This record gives sequence, structure tokens and C-alpha cells, in this order.
Amino acid sequence: MIRQLYRVLGPEGSRPLNRLLVLQSAASVLQGVAFALLVPVLKALLGTDPGDVLPWLTAFTGCVLAHAVLQGAAVGGGFTVGSRLSRALHRRMADQALRLPLGWFTAGRTAGFSRLAGQNVIQVMSTPAHLLRPFISSLLTPVTLVAATFFFDVRTALVLLLCAPVLYAVQQASTSLMRRLDLGRDAAIGESADRVLEYTRNQPVLRAFGRTAEGYGALDDALAAEARADRRLIVRGLPGLVSFTFATRLVFALLLALGVSWQLDGSLTVPTLLALLVLLVRLIESVSSAAEAGAGMRIARNTLERLGAVLDEPPFPQPARPRTPRDASVEFEGVGFRYDTGGADDPSSRPVLKDVTFRLPERSTTALVGPSGAGKTTVAALIARFRDATEGTVRIGGVDVREIAADDLADHVSLVFQDVYLFDGTIEENVRIAAPDAGPAELAEAAALSGLDKVIAELPDGWDTKTGEGGARLSGGQRQRVSIARALLKDAPILVLDEATAALDQENEALFAEAVRTLADRKTLLVIAHRLSTVVHADRILVLEDGAITERGTHDDLVTAGGTYASFWHRRTRAHGWRLEAARP
Amino acid sequence: MKSQPPGPGPAPDAAAGGAGTGATPPPPPHPLRTLAEPVRGRLAVAVGLQAVAALAGVVPFIAVSRIAERLTAGPPAEGDALWPLVALACAAGLVALVCGTAAGALAHLADNDLQLALRRRLARHIGRLPLGRLTDRGTGEVKQAVQDDVSALHTLFAHTLLDVVSVLTAPVLTLVYLCTVDWRLALVGVVPLLLGVFLFSRAMAGAAAQMAEFGAAVGRISSAAVEFASGIAVFKSFGRGGKAHERFLRATEDFADFFAGWVRSTLACSTAAIMVVAPAVVLLLLSVPGALFVVQGWTTGAELVPFLLLGPAVAAPMGVVGPRIQQIRAGQAAAVRVTGLLAAPTLPEPKTPALPDGHHVRLRGVSFSYDGHDDVLSDVDLDLAPGTVTALVGPSGSGKSTLASLLPRFHDVTAGTVTLGGADLRDIPASELYRRVGFVLQDVRLLRASVADNIRLGRPDATDAEVERCARAARIHDRITELPDGYATELGTAVALSGGEAQRLSIARALLADAPVLVLDEATAYADPHSEALIQDALSALAAGRTLLVIAHRLSTIRTADRIVVLEDGRVTEQGRHDDLLAAGGRYTALWEAQRAAGPDETDGAPRHRSAPAGADRAADDVREGSAR
Repeated sequence: MIRQLYRVLGPEGSRPLNRLLVLQSAASVLQGVAFALLVPVLKALLGTDPGDVLPWLTAFTGCVLAHAVLQGAAVGGGFTVGSRLSRALHRRMADQALRLPLGWFTAGRTAGFSRLAGQNVIQVMSTPAHLLRPFISSLLTPVTLVAATFFFDVRTALVLLLCAPVLYAVQQASTSLMRRLDLGRDAAIGESADRVLEYTRNQPVLRAFGRTAEGYGALDDALAAEARADRRLIVRGLPGLVSFTFATRLVFALLLALGVSWQLDGSLTVPTLLALLVLLVRLIESVSSAAEAGAGMRIARNTLERLGAVLDEPPFPQPARPRTPRDASVEFEGVGFRYDTGGADDPSSRPVLKDVTFRLPERSTTALVGPSGAGKTTVAALIARFRDATEGTVRIGGVDVREIAADDLADHVSLVFQDVYLFDGTIEENVRIAAPDAGPAELAEAAALSGLDKVIAELPDGWDTKTGEGGARLSGGQRQRVSIARALLKDAPILVLDEATAALDQENEALFAEAVRTLADRKTLLVIAHRLSTVVHADRILVLEDGAITERGTHDDLVTAGGTYASFWHRRTRAHGWRLEAARP
Repeated sequence: MKSQPPGPGPAPDAAAGGAGTGATPPPPPHPLRTLAEPVRGRLAVAVGLQAVAALAGVVPFIAVSRIAERLTAGPPAEGDALWPLVALACAAGLVALVCGTAAGALAHLADNDLQLALRRRLARHIGRLPLGRLTDRGTGEVKQAVQDDVSALHTLFAHTLLDVVSVLTAPVLTLVYLCTVDWRLALVGVVPLLLGVFLFSRAMAGAAAQMAEFGAAVGRISSAAVEFASGIAVFKSFGRGGKAHERFLRATEDFADFFAGWVRSTLACSTAAIMVVAPAVVLLLLSVPGALFVVQGWTTGAELVPFLLLGPAVAAPMGVVGPRIQQIRAGQAAAVRVTGLLAAPTLPEPKTPALPDGHHVRLRGVSFSYDGHDDVLSDVDLDLAPGTVTALVGPSGSGKSTLASLLPRFHDVTAGTVTLGGADLRDIPASELYRRVGFVLQDVRLLRASVADNIRLGRPDATDAEVERCARAARIHDRITELPDGYATELGTAVALSGGEAQRLSIARALLADAPVLVLDEATAYADPHSEALIQDALSALAAGRTLLVIAHRLSTIRTADRIVVLEDGRVTEQGRHDDLLAAGGRYTALWEAQRAAGPDETDGAPRHRSAPAGADRAADDVREGSAR
């Protein structure tokens, strides 16, 4: 746990943690010494001359005061380390997110990451104050007390020493029992949380098909399963919860009985017995809180481990001696790509791209077409270096993308994603993220080219319109235009456009085609195209099927060749003649 | 809380009746009490057991004190005098353990039942809320109530309640006993408690506001983290160098500053409050005057023993009171949210259920508004005759989807009426309506269930053969057989379907449900351009013989519709057949021309189509495919 704290804090954050550990350890040992000093104090008071108490009482007072001062400092230190921890962790997580390859962020990991960087960091920040401190205290104080007992009565001390491993074993056994039970329960909780979300999100479809709460068995099953898992935890976990308390009470009873019998046979004086009993009560209290703190530490440790795992993910390699692209051409040479095998999120290790070779000359327009799953988006991801090719080389301006500095690469390549993501801010903020210092003229030009100017004109708040979380307050078409404007404002010489398949109405489609035409003589364009209107304007068409380029050429060449593209073209033209009718009565 | 917009007719009465879930009698009990009602008896027993456990837990210390007394007073004690006390200590310890465990188990089991019952109630209620309410505040509110809030209640009922009982009973018995030993020292023993209360209340001053602010700050960080992670591609490819995570870092810095400020302002007080009730300090406060008393002969050394044994326990509650208060507040807030959601008005159930006679859909004077201010639809009149195709066209944002969503009653009209077979939609029982109105929308929702169960959604009792027949008709059967477990393959886990495949599956679902009135989004047909033709075949099979309302994007598709309705800004501005509208030269003509200009592939196929033969005898034949090939 402490090791994990050091790991996630990093070297610069570890000083306050060192200080906290030293303070708390000293305070805990002093507390043990203070409790131990109660024994001579009490012995003196129970003895014949209570006046003998003064030196012991002075020592006891000194110890308690010193303990109080150190403990007070440690309390403050706990919060300091906590807030340091949150700052450091948030920053490290954010930095790490930027260093990781974008390909790392699968849907599951994205959700996990935001939970980790959000709530979990905040949970972790309370550990130094609320878990670590009590834990140290409940560990070191008993140790000090047992050691001190040797000064007062060796037999008692030995019995305590013998009890310690038993208590430890009981604690370990109940912890592992709880952990086993927790596992099943976590799965049940996850399932029911999923089902609740599914049930809520799919209300329209569920209702429309007559499935209300009573009719949607999967949800009720999940809820019932969660309740069952909980109940099992309660019933089966009971021995685990009781055993440690039972064991500590047994130790107390044992020592009480032993003490009384030793007193009765005259081998233990009354004052020592009583003083030891006071000590024993303190000891039992401390040990009990150790068990409590231990349970909390277990949960915190799991969270820290997950944070640590993300922080330890190998960052995307950056070039040691970066080179600058010579021009705005793009080149794929024998490029292959497959997902890491064995990754939990990658169901197959089937190659996504196989031996892909092509060249996009500067200021040319190329359309990439092919069925979904053919690897088109992966091609775009490799150009922007969201991932690295597993075979072959991707070059921009004649330079391997792996040798181009990240910022330099970002300056050269701009992307319009298919699923547009807008952050919660104004339209202007969302566009300006591409170039915070852009002047009004540049902004206006990007808006005009992308058709965003029309959107702005229609909205009452214009540029200041709030986009809502994830852009939810704008329509699909409006979001698309913001995203195109953003890419244009960045003014990179290479532009990759992933045409949206859904939510594009006629107007947007026309606009998209128009933007492609306008940009054609200014930029190197790669359009992942789904619409023929876009394709026919391209200088060249690449057909990607099952990860390999199967055809290339102009529209006319390919139609004449009569291959996949030709049949695609025919099917599309047939599709466009499709009409929807119903029987007339 | 936003309630249903009042409308004419029986709706308001029904709404008032439906809202009767919350407690209406004059002094409303706290939501917490209302929620705990079903398990009140068991919780009360648990509280009693816990009180016994807490009291029994003090007894061993009292027994030890008596032993001390016996040992120090008078002649050397006999074993006979001591062993019963030892036995008492052990027995009391055992009683405390057994009662405490029983109390905990009972409270947990009661809470376990309560959780399930609450979650089920919430689920049932969510199934009856107006859809607008669910999309408005998203699923966050529901997740919060069903998962987080019910868990907060668990903490309260299963843990905090019993803790509070212990904290309140044990110190009282302790203090009473200490008073019988030496009331003066007992008074000294109360000092740390009083100091603790004073310091703690000072530290807590304004804590409620700070806690609220803390909660809000945590919420901001969470949403900033979600935004940062979801938008990572955008932040990475557009933000330069170290600037990309600026937004996220700003939120975290604000939080850290707030937290540091909060800690600074209360640190001295809260540290003092913690320290003054710490066992070592309490023992110091007791032993110094205690020693003085003994030295002065005001009390005996033996009488000091119970104070040193039990003294720390008097003040100890102050050490845990902070977290408990927070748990109680969290529990109360959770109860308020849960009851709030449970009290949210449900879609009014029809008072006098009416069954549609036939399938003629009629909209009269229909207006609709999502927020109560801006009308998305205004005064729409529309008729969908059985077996006809009606197409909705218009620019994006003109209200096409909203209008279509009124038919399956995703929303209720703000003004006007929608009738099916002469019956107002609001009067048709939900189970009857869904049998009659089906839909295929662009945004396909598949459930995490087997392929077969997804298709069976509307008719759980359909046979495998029926499922397969619909899958074949929807042109998805072949794809399903390629899946690892065929029709039994669970979707959403290992297997994901492409957009077009999901569309075809949803078409199979609608085919099986076999509703005579169908709402469909034509954009569905090109959601996945590479299986476009297959989807079109599937849609054609589905459309055959039904009353169709089509949200049209590509005008060529609906050229032969019986009626084309042009929506602009929520109003119907033109309607009629394709040729009539073109001849009129209005808005539709402009849209048509715009599409012709959009691309070479859009309308250029038009002249090459053969026109659909009127009065075709077989319904399925009536869905034409172009003959461009």
C-alpha cells in the first residue's frame, strides 16, 4: 500500500509522504510508550506510597504531550499529502493520457480511465488521512505495548507474543474469505448496474415492444442476482466478520484468567495485574482498529493498483532525434497492422491491414472506399499516428511518422472524425481549440468553408452557443460542421476526412462534397468516403477490402475494370433508385 | 421537478391520480422514514439487540473494576470471590459479540430486502415515466438513484444506524458506572467530551455548505474527466504540446485549491477536536487529577482503575461522530432523491381505456414542445390512411423526428390530439398500442441478449421458426448463421454487429412484432452504405401492406409516396403527391432541385425508373426497386 502510494505520487510528491510516515510512526510509538508508562503510574498509586508517582506521572505527561504534538502535525500532514496526492495524480493521469497511443483508449478503457481520473483519485486522496495514519498507529502502538510488557511481566508478554500470530492468521483468513465473496458480488453489482443503464437508455424500444419493468426479465434477474450475492456475503461472511472480534475477546479472557490465577498463586502482584489489565485494554482497542483500517486499506490498494497500472502503461514512443517532413505527401509502404494479441479488449488477432502500399502526392484528393470493417479508419489512425503500424512504414513528407515529433506531426495532419466529439463549451471555444490565437478573419474563413457560418447565423447566441456535454445540444449536422471548421482552422497541409455514415441529411451531404471540392487544390486530402457524390470527385480511388488494397485508379478506370468498385457503383446506383411504397387498399 | 404539461381532456385528472405515489397527508414524514417502513420492525429489533450488545460490551470492564476493588480492599482475595467476576466478564463479552453480530446480520438482511424492493419499485416506476423525463436528465439520475442512492441507504440502515446506537448507549452506562465509583473524577472524565463537542461543532460550522461545495467540485472533476477521456482524440490532435489537458487540469486545480482552503480553515479546530478525545490525552486528563486525588487520600488507587479502563470510552464517540453525521446526511439526501424519483408523475394511464377501431391515424391541431416554451410542432393536421405511404420531408430540425415519435407515444402532445382508429393515443392501453404501432429508427438499440431474444422483443412467445422467417425476410439470417453461436449468440459482449446489420436485425424485430402502423426513418437505409441494398430489401419486405410514416432524407426514395408532407419549423407548409408538389413550384420543388444539385448520384437515376404500376395485386410487389442496373 505504502509502496503503491510512492509509486503513484512519483518522486516529486514523495517528500510530504516521508514526513507523514515519520511523524505518524513517532506519534504511534510515543503513544505506546505513554500507555506503557501508565503501568508504573498505577503501580505507584496502588502501592504503599502514592507520592512515588510523581516521576512516572511526569514522564507519562511528557510522553502524552509529545505524542499529541506529533499526532497533531501528522493529522495536518495527512491532509497535505492527500491534497498533494490529488494534484499529483490528476496531473500524472492527464499527462499519461496524452502520452498513451490513442489506440489504447477503447470504449471500455475510456470509461475506466474517466472513473479513475475522476472519482477514484478523490477516493485515494483521503487514504493518507483516513486509512494510512490509523493503520500505522494501530500497528506500531501494539508492537510498542507488547515490547513494554516484557519490562513488567515476562509471562504476559510471552502469551501476547504467542497470540499475535494467531490473531494475524484469523485476520488473514477472514480477509481472504471476504475477498472471495466480494469477487462474486462485484460481478453481480456490475451486471445489475449495466442492466439498469440498458433498461433506462432503451426505454423507447422496450416500451414500444411492450416490455415494461415486469416484462424485461434481464433487469429483474440482475437485480435479484445482486440481492442474492449480497445475501450470500452477509450469511457466509458472518464467520469472517465475527472471528477476529471473537479472537481478540478470547485473548482478553485468557489473559484475565491467567492474571487472576497468577495473582492467586502469588506470582503476580495486585498492582502489576491491574496495571497490565489497563494496558491490555489499550492493546485490544488498537488491534481492533487495525482490522478495520486493514479492510479499508485493501479497497484503497486495489484502486491504487489500477491507477498504477495505467501510469505504468508504456507511453507511445517518441523519436529521440526528430525529423521534419519535407512536404505534405503521405506514403504507406508494406504497412500491416494487427491488434496486440492477448489484450482483453481485442477479441481477435486477425490482421486489420495487410501489406498496404500507396502514395498520396501533395495536394491530391484520394477516396478510400470499402465495406465496414475493411480497415479504412485504421489507415486514418496510422497517418495521424494514433497507433503505430506493426509492419512496414508510414511516411509523411518522406519521413517515417515515428521519427516526427508529436507536435510537428499534429501541425501536418488534421482530422475530421466520424463520431464528432465536442466538449462542453461554446461553439467558438470548440473551434478555437485547434488554434487558440487565430484571428477573426481566419475563424470566419474556416466557418465559411465548413458551412458553420450558416449554423452560426441561425443560432440566437451565434458563436457563443453552448454545445452541451459531448455536443448534445447541437444536431448531428451542426456538430459535423463544427468539427470540419475546427479541422480547417488548424490549417494543416494534410487533411483526413472520415465521412459520417449516419445523421447526414441532404444539406450536410452537399456541404461536405462542396468542402472537399474547395479544399482539393489546397491540401492533401484523404476522404474515407461512403457516398458516391464524394467519391467521384477524387483524383484517385483506393478500394480496401479485408485489410488489403484490391483496386486503385480513377472512377472511370475502376468502373470499366468491372471489379469490386464497379459492382459497388452499380449497387449504389440501383440503391438510389429504390422507392418505398405500400399497398393501396 | 418538471411535471406533465397540462392538456385538455382527461389527462390532468389522470396525472393527479398518477402522482399519488408520494405521501400527501398533512405532516409528511421524512422520506427516510417512508422508505424504511417495510423493514421497520426488523430494524427496531436490530437496534434493540445492538443496544444490548453495547451495554454488555461495557460489563467486562466493570467486572475488571470490581476485581480491582476486591483485590485491593481488605484481606487478600479468595479465588471464590474473583472467578465469578472473571466468568461474568467472559460471558458479557460473549453476549456482546452474539447480540452485536445478530443485530448486524438482521439489519443487513432487512436492508438486503429493502434494496431489492426499492430497486424493483424504481425500475417499475422508470418504465412508466414520460420518455421526455428520461432523455432530459439522461440516465445519470436513474443510475444515481438505483445504484448509488440505494447503496447510501444501505450504509445508513445497515451500518450507521447500529453505530449510532452503540455510540449513544455504551458511554451512558459507562458514565453512570463511573459516577457510582467517584462522581468528582467522573465529572473530570466528561471534560474531554464537552471540549470535543465544542471544538467539533466549531470545526463543523459551515460544513454543510462546504460539503455541498465539495460534492459539486467532485462532480465537476468527474465530468471533466469523462470529457477529457471521451474527447481524448480531439484534445490530442488539436491541442498543442502541454495545452491539450488544460481544461481537465484547470478543474482539478480548482478542486485541489478548494480542498486545501477548506482544510486550512478548519484544520486547527478539527485537529484539536480529534486530539482532545484521543485515548492518550483523555488518560492524561484523568490520571493527573486522579493521582492528585489518590495522593491527597480523596480516593483510592483501586477506584482510579475503572477510570483508566473506561475513561477513553466516554469521549470516544466524538472521534467517530463526524463520519456518522456525513453518512446520515448522505442517507437523507439519497432518500430525498429516491422518493423524488418515485414521486415523479408517471404517464397517465387511461381512465376509460379505448380500443382503436381500424388503423387510421389522425393528427388534429397537434403542437408539441420539449421544454414548455418553444414549440417544435405547431398546429399539425395529418391523416395516415390504412395501407398508404406518407413521407415527411423538410430541413433538419424541422420536427420530422419529433412528429414521428408521437405515433408510438414516445411523447404526449402538448396540444391537439393524435388518434388511432378513432381512439386518442392517451386512452389506448400501452399494451394495445405497441401491438399496433411499430417503428424502425436510425438509432438502433440492441439489448445485451441473444440474437433470437432481440428479435423476439415484441413477441416473447414467438417460435424459432417465426424468428428465422423474419430474419430471412430482413436479409440478416445469413449473417446470424455466421455468428459463433448462431441465433443464441449474445450481442454486446464478444460480438458486435455493424450499423447496417443492427438495422436489419431491428427490421426483423419489427417484422415479427407485425404492427399494422409503421414509423420508419428512411436514413436507416443508408446508415451502412455497403449493405444499403440489403437494408432496402429488408425495409421493402417490412413496409409491404402497412400504414407507413416515413421520415425521408433522400427525396428520390419517396417520389411515389401517396402523400408527401413538407415540414418547416414545426408547421406543415405543403402536402400532396410528388408531381403536384413539383408543379406547385414551392418549397418541395426547391428541396428537390437542391438534391439534384447535391451530387450526381442522387436524383439522376430518376428518368431510368419504371413507374410503379398502380393497384398492384400483391402488396410485396408494390415496393419497387429501381432498374438502373
